[in-house]
Amino acid sequence: MMFRLGIPLGIILLWASLAVLGQFLPLSPNSIELSKILLPGNAQEWLGFDDLGRPIFDRLIVGARTSFFVAFSVVTVSLIVGSLLGTISAYVGGWTDLAFVRVIDIFLAFPGILLAIALAGVMGPGIDNVVIALSIVGWVGYARLARAQVLSVKERDHVHAAVAIGTRPIRIMMRHLLPLISAPLIVEASFGIAGVVIGEAGLSFLGLGVQAPEASWGSMIRDGTRYMLVAPHMVIAPGLALMFVVLAINLLGDWLRDWLDVKGHGRRE
Amino acid sequence: MVTKFFLPRILTALGVIFGVVCVVFLLLHLVPGDPVEVMLGESAQPADREALRQALGLDQPIHLQLLSYFKGLAQLDLGTSLYSRRPISEILLERLPATIELGLASLILALTLAIPLGVIAAIKKETAWDFGAMGFALFGVSIPNFWMGPMLILVGALWLGWFPVSGREGMGSIVLPAITLGTAMAAILSRMIRSTLLEVLTEDFIRTARSKGLTEWTVTFRHGLRNALLPVITLLGLQLGALLSGAVITETVFSWPGIGSLVVEAIHRRDYPVVQAAVLLISFSYVMVNLFTDLVYAWVDPRVRLSK
Amino acid sequence: MFHFSIIPLLHQVQIDFKIMIRFAMALGALLLFPLLISCTDPPTNVIRFGLATAPTNLDPRFATDATSDRVNRLLYERLVDFNDAFEPIPALANWEQVSPTHFRFHLTPNRATFHDGTPLTAQDVKATYNFILNADNASPHRSALAMIDHLTIHDELTIDFHLNRPDSLFPSFLTIGILPAQLIQAQHPFHSKPVGSGTFSFVAWPDDTRLELVRLADKQTFEFIKVQEPTVRALKLLAGEIDMLQNDVPPELVTYLAKDPRLRIQRKPGTNFSYVGLSLEDEHTKQLLVRQAMAHAIDRESIIQYVLGGAARPAQSLLPPDHWAGAHNLKSYEHNPEKSRSLLAQAGYHAQAPLRLTYKTSSDPFRVRLATILQYQLAQVGIEVDLRSYDWGTFYGDIKAGRFQMYTLSWVGVKTPDIFQYVFHSHAIPPNGANRGRFHSDQADLLIDQAGTTQDLREKKHLYQELQAYIAEALPYVPLWYEDHVFMAQQNIEGFTIAKDGNFDGLKNVHRTSPSMAL
Repeated sequence: MMFRLGIPLGIILLWASLAVLGQFLPLSPNSIELSKILLPGNAQEWLGFDDLGRPIFDRLIVGARTSFFVAFSVVTVSLIVGSLLGTISAYVGGWTDLAFVRVIDIFLAFPGILLAIALAGVMGPGIDNVVIALSIVGWVGYARLARAQVLSVKERDHVHAAVAIGTRPIRIMMRHLLPLISAPLIVEASFGIAGVVIGEAGLSFLGLGVQAPEASWGSMIRDGTRYMLVAPHMVIAPGLALMFVVLAINLLGDWLRDWLDVKGHGRRE
Repeated sequence: MVTKFFLPRILTALGVIFGVVCVVFLLLHLVPGDPVEVMLGESAQPADREALRQALGLDQPIHLQLLSYFKGLAQLDLGTSLYSRRPISEILLERLPATIELGLASLILALTLAIPLGVIAAIKKETAWDFGAMGFALFGVSIPNFWMGPMLILVGALWLGWFPVSGREGMGSIVLPAITLGTAMAAILSRMIRSTLLEVLTEDFIRTARSKGLTEWTVTFRHGLRNALLPVITLLGLQLGALLSGAVITETVFSWPGIGSLVVEAIHRRDYPVVQAAVLLISFSYVMVNLFTDLVYAWVDPRVRLSK
Repeated sequence: MFHFSIIPLLHQVQIDFKIMIRFAMALGALLLFPLLISCTDPPTNVIRFGLATAPTNLDPRFATDATSDRVNRLLYERLVDFNDAFEPIPALANWEQVSPTHFRFHLTPNRATFHDGTPLTAQDVKATYNFILNADNASPHRSALAMIDHLTIHDELTIDFHLNRPDSLFPSFLTIGILPAQLIQAQHPFHSKPVGSGTFSFVAWPDDTRLELVRLADKQTFEFIKVQEPTVRALKLLAGEIDMLQNDVPPELVTYLAKDPRLRIQRKPGTNFSYVGLSLEDEHTKQLLVRQAMAHAIDRESIIQYVLGGAARPAQSLLPPDHWAGAHNLKSYEHNPEKSRSLLAQAGYHAQAPLRLTYKTSSDPFRVRLATILQYQLAQVGIEVDLRSYDWGTFYGDIKAGRFQMYTLSWVGVKTPDIFQYVFHSHAIPPNGANRGRFHSDQADLLIDQAGTTQDLREKKHLYQELQAYIAEALPYVPLWYEDHVFMAQQNIEGFTIAKDGNFDGLKNVHRTSPSMAL
């Protein structure tokens, strides 16, 4: 239990609180000291300095904020848009549903984050564009899942009963359908957070994410790879941070899936 | 019977590809940035610009551009690179072998790792073996390849000096990118093999086989694994997506001259026609492979066909 | 029932996994083997030159990027070349000025033939320039040669250029490689199959990353290998996979490489001018006080020392002092945050109403790194800078269109002082020139016009120096530095001399003294 729930929860809480409270800490993530360029860690500054003489520890915490902000914006937007569209489509049925399935098929024909890479590349760098690009790709999974779930529950008796007494469709969807299908969506969303954290870091790694001097773990890794020969500390720290957060989210997602007893693998990727 | 099953699927796949072309074309053309300015540079006269714009067909309304793009596609003409001014089909063909080579190597590595891990985890469910195998899988999905790649370079190339840092030359150069791409895939596959095998092993025919007094070995491998591998084939098709999008980053990390690194290079050069063609090629092969696995699955397992 | 059988199963499974793994490995090896042996190791008699960017176009009529230009200099010969002070000197031809608008070029007798064996004559010169001047061909070099009215062939070895306006510096512009007329006529694809009369001839260009040329004099093969990542380039040099590199390696890595006894490092002051460009139409940056404050806020000495590894010279003007028209003792702006703050205060900016600027740069990592430093240094005096990095196309498009307050860029390969007309004259606002900041100064215009029209070279030089002194005061650009050229090679590679403008002509004399140690 400790391993499956305690540690992951601890890491995620640390991540979230650093992201939210980091701005109140006395950090100087963008303070450049040219004479400290690429210095390795010491007693005061454990993690050392980057290629501009900025403290890596401070940048790591600011990077936590970037990934947290992007992850929650993208997952919230995708989850709401995706499950609403999926629910409506399945509930309305007929030609609307058929057309909707085709649209989903087209979006699913772009493997992984390829479409997000192309979109972010075309829109230009910036954290807003990252959120947009990842959301455009992200909603499809929730839509497909919500649609499949609604199809399986919409023939249940209490739904039929609600229709029979003339309840408005919106109310039926909100009151009778969404609660029934929320468990798999929650599991999907928890894995989705891990996916978006990696997605944001990946886009920033490719130079399509945050703008300098903002810090993202992905852009820190990208900067670090250029100096691996002379300063490997630059690439190790942000990678470990990223790995632990993703690992924690995946563990928590696994636990959540078992706890909510959701069948199947909520994971795409 | 056969056409009744296969034909709709093929038609759907074609429809999806049509949609993909439209989506990519429109998305990439409705964004700011003028390729003509990029090509000619500052000293260009307005007349030169107009001439080039006409030569590239950029002066036409967008639906006509899309139409002529489709006409080109029908003749396998993907246009010309704005950057190198070479035919794009030529560039793609030049890059394709590298991606296929890397993909195959990663796939083989992934299967080599995933099948034993998945099987062992299923057979020894909830033992240290299972824990170890699934722990590996969890790490595998949690380490992004843009960090794993640099770490492998750091250790395997810079510190140990066993493999080349990057590029595609000599025997050793494929090792690190293939490990980067293969382990992530192995991680996902081994989890899926484990869970499908666990499901299969509880089914009736397994119990029947066991009660007939067959050895555990025969039961697990002859009956269990064989049936568990069927869904895995489909999953493998879906995994190709992860492989292809992973290749975009992995190829960039290792300067592997494939389609994936081409996408990133072209994005940074604003070479839209190349981005467009490469994205289309990747999506096209993804759709095709999934269609193929679908058909193979149906061919292998008649139940799928009947249930349709 | 299930868990009774676990023990015997364990035994069996272990054995069979070994077989399975072996089988999978064999299968893997089988599939990979043909792929692997097809990648053969490069032969050792080749000299390999690592490049950050590959050449894109081997047709000098169309090539515009620096790498293509440098490679084309090896493949083709041009009429005119430059010495270290950037004065024009004869290459394929000597010249005489017959009248202010008429130049006569005599082809030198000992010139090489084209690589296809045909001799290079006045016909070829005429065909090359006529092609560029023909608007239908949309050559990017046409506008720079707009002063040419027409060409006439005097005889086989003599060609006349007739100008539509006097220009005593005209020979400086005839630096385009000469192509064989016959092949121009036949629409030969020079961009991928170059035929020139240079000291190197084309062998193969199998893909974007690898170009093979042969030095005709001794059949020495050279390979130009594109290795995009600087770290990888440095490592390949260390591993002996490439023999030499020039530029584009971060100073930290140069320092690292310099420690290796197997390598040699050469440096030479360069002429590529880095600067901060400012909009002179913007309500903030049009104030001289603001520009002066910015100049005093930037600590160029520290950047050169720590970030550029000392491999740069602070710049005061677009032309370096060792250019024939270069100027000495220009006004220079020392790093002085106090002075900068008081200048900003004079201009009416303070902590409650700070100066806010948007700074555009290209997304090249080294440029972003420099921009981030400048952003920080400007913040130290209270200027809030919003940094935006764009891919080259968008960035350059914005700069040309004047959509900027502040940007950094370099002038690369500047050779003739007419650059001042192109960059600072009020008539040179894009698309007519590169006065991107919209600098309007009657005094500058006057000096530029005078310097341009006078035919006396001493007078010209004097006027250009006066102009540079004026520009240093008016500060349309904040000058930064000229980066040095750094050449890194294996110890057994000898004979390379670094060119002032960073071209690859040094390869003409490079040789290997002992067999390659690596591979």
